[in-house]
Amino acid sequence: MDPALLITILSATGYSWLRMLAALVISILFSISIGITAAVSKTLEKVIIPILDILQSIPVLGFFPIALYAFITLHPTIGPEMAAIFLIFTSQVWNISFGVYEAVRVIPTETLEVANFLRLSIFSKIRHLYIPASFPKIAANLPSSWANGLYFLVACEIITIGEAEYRLLGVGSLTAEFMASGMVLESIVALFFVLLFVVLMNLLVFIPMIRISVKYRFETYATEIPHAWFEKLVKPLTLPIKIIAYKPRFSESWRLGAELHSFTNLIMKHRRIIEVLTASTVVVILASIISIEDLINFSQIVFNGFSRLGILEPLTMLGYSLSRVFIATLITLGWTIPVSIILYEKKTIEKMLLPIFQVIASFPATLLIPFVMDFTIKLGLMKEFGALIIVLLGTMWYMLFSLRGALSVIPREEEELFKLLRISGLKKLWYLYLPRMTPSMITGCIVTIGGGWNTLVIAERTSLDHILWEVENPGIGKMMSIATTLGDIELLIATTVWMALFIVILNRLIWRRIYEIAIRRIV
Amino acid sequence: MTLEKIDETLLTLRNISFSYKMRKGDKLLIFDNLSLSIMFAEFIGIAGPSGCGKSTLLRIMAGLLKPDLGEVYFRGKPLHSPDPRISMVFQNPTLLPWYTVIKNVMLGLINEKELTDKEKEERARTFLDMMGLIGFENAYPAELSGGMKQRVAIARALVSHPDLLLMDEPFSNLDQLTAITLRRELENLWLNQILPISSIVLVSHDIEELVEICDKVIVLTARPSRIAGIVKIDLKRPRSRRSQEFYEYVDSIYTLLS
Repeated sequence: MDPALLITILSATGYSWLRMLAALVISILFSISIGITAAVSKTLEKVIIPILDILQSIPVLGFFPIALYAFITLHPTIGPEMAAIFLIFTSQVWNISFGVYEAVRVIPTETLEVANFLRLSIFSKIRHLYIPASFPKIAANLPSSWANGLYFLVACEIITIGEAEYRLLGVGSLTAEFMASGMVLESIVALFFVLLFVVLMNLLVFIPMIRISVKYRFETYATEIPHAWFEKLVKPLTLPIKIIAYKPRFSESWRLGAELHSFTNLIMKHRRIIEVLTASTVVVILASIISIEDLINFSQIVFNGFSRLGILEPLTMLGYSLSRVFIATLITLGWTIPVSIILYEKKTIEKMLLPIFQVIASFPATLLIPFVMDFTIKLGLMKEFGALIIVLLGTMWYMLFSLRGALSVIPREEEELFKLLRISGLKKLWYLYLPRMTPSMITGCIVTIGGGWNTLVIAERTSLDHILWEVENPGIGKMMSIATTLGDIELLIATTVWMALFIVILNRLIWRRIYEIAIRRIV
Repeated sequence: MTLEKIDETLLTLRNISFSYKMRKGDKLLIFDNLSLSIMFAEFIGIAGPSGCGKSTLLRIMAGLLKPDLGEVYFRGKPLHSPDPRISMVFQNPTLLPWYTVIKNVMLGLINEKELTDKEKEERARTFLDMMGLIGFENAYPAELSGGMKQRVAIARALVSHPDLLLMDEPFSNLDQLTAITLRRELENLWLNQILPISSIVLVSHDIEELVEICDKVIVLTARPSRIAGIVKIDLKRPRSRRSQEFYEYVDSIYTLLS
């Protein structure tokens, strides 16, 4: 193989990584500010949380119109890059934001009372309490955010709107190019580099951060993270991360500190007035930027989209898509329940398999789409089958890790009780494991189904240069993909709204209720 | 100790050694060559400084933990895994929150193949009655107070008619008043031979509690634990905590501990 090509692949992978790193840093900063604000202010919480909830239900590719119009029109060369970073950001940010919000909310009351008793300003609370408290949740969410970002890399690096196509240098666009021109060996090499980068990223950054984060937990029980055999090899290399992460504080010599203190205290004192002022300023600014004419134009676009789609058609598409997501979730449950129990009961198997699972889980399944297409077509299977595989590859891992996590917090005395009563096998599954796994199983289903919707846009229809992949039956993701390729903004907005609305309603009316019932019975 | 003698005991630990594996391959030696016996119809207390392995000792007796060296005999036969005739009550009630009180008690009979579901329920009800819990059969654990939960746990431990009941600080998470009542009830049930059990082993850090209800208190030393002494308590029941003799027994145990 040509060494020049090798360098191209390597630098493309590096570019993609920088792009994703930029998005991740923005995601973390965004999450810290929005998560802490929502957790601290009761008023803003009521606004922020529902908005985050809706935003996270919008499939990543649903942000396309915003990305296109807000960034690409901004500047012909920087614009597409910013659009790509923005799209990756939307795939990484929500779980981190919810993580920070939950972490700050569950800070024990006693700890908060101590902070108040010490009369810490809001600034030092953020610095010494809120950020360290959210550290474990941020660290725990980084790997899945990263995997999610990678999943949409191909879609973000090749942005097509109607006739115009923007290609960014990166491993996603490069692999697509290789595949389209039939360069199988080259695409396998590119995949290999991605795999290598993923492994290094996990070993050098994510795993050390999770290990360090253990000491920031409030829980008294220690949950063991099994040491992977190859962690030892790279141990010295993780030192820089450890040094940075051991002190997740701002430097002590921050001169502005004192002034910021009094400033933030002033803000906190007049919080109510400031909240009202900010809200009204935002309204005024929005009103002044957006003219009535724009508003009419925009509502015209939305109205056109909806009237073109009708009602029966989107409902049929949603029905088909929902059944795809459901089947994928059932398959996921089917294999993750037994496997998580095996991992829990047989520690030696776990030590071997878990790191491998983690690497596969963080590998971007979208890069495998060409192979899945090939495989499906060669075997003469329905494309529905291939779509199912693509959805599964992107969504099934969360369930495994979350079920495994639920098992590891089973109280030791419960385990001993079952040994004493000599209950094992299926009876133990029924009496102990299943009830203990239920809350995680439900959140796992919510996440899997949510992720499933997200991947559908790619799984139901993908066009890579000349190759077109499309499921035989209708689907909402297929519709969205068609609308994007055509550059049909009306249709795109309408399908996105249909999909997001459907997901939000499903979450509110069904999943959340089931979760609450389960929690009430089990705790 | 000869083998004939083992036949006469309910449970015997012979020359057992046990250690916990620490990180980096270090071993924390808990017991080194420890031997002790529990006879039929005995109420035994185990005392010792914290961290000496009282709970570990109980788990070895239950067959939950295997000693590194040495043997455990139960009714003259080697004990390798939990036996249906040995029951245990934990420091926490350890009830399954997703089942009602009666189902939690019936869990103790889950492996009794010859009983029908109706008979199991009948027997569970008898023991709930004995523990003063009639009327709460269909309540969920979350609806009960700490003391009531521990009563359910005791009923579950007794429902299978065990010979030996092991108790790991069962009263230490309860408030004083509840603990006193529950202790009294347990003592009465045992004295009046209403309970099907032969012997009880109670681990506790509360010396007065042990002197109040035990026939014999085994005092352990710090790690690696040996037996510092066995104090036989010859006091008439019910014992008053205020008597002179009571304090002498408490003092003699404290002397062994220090």
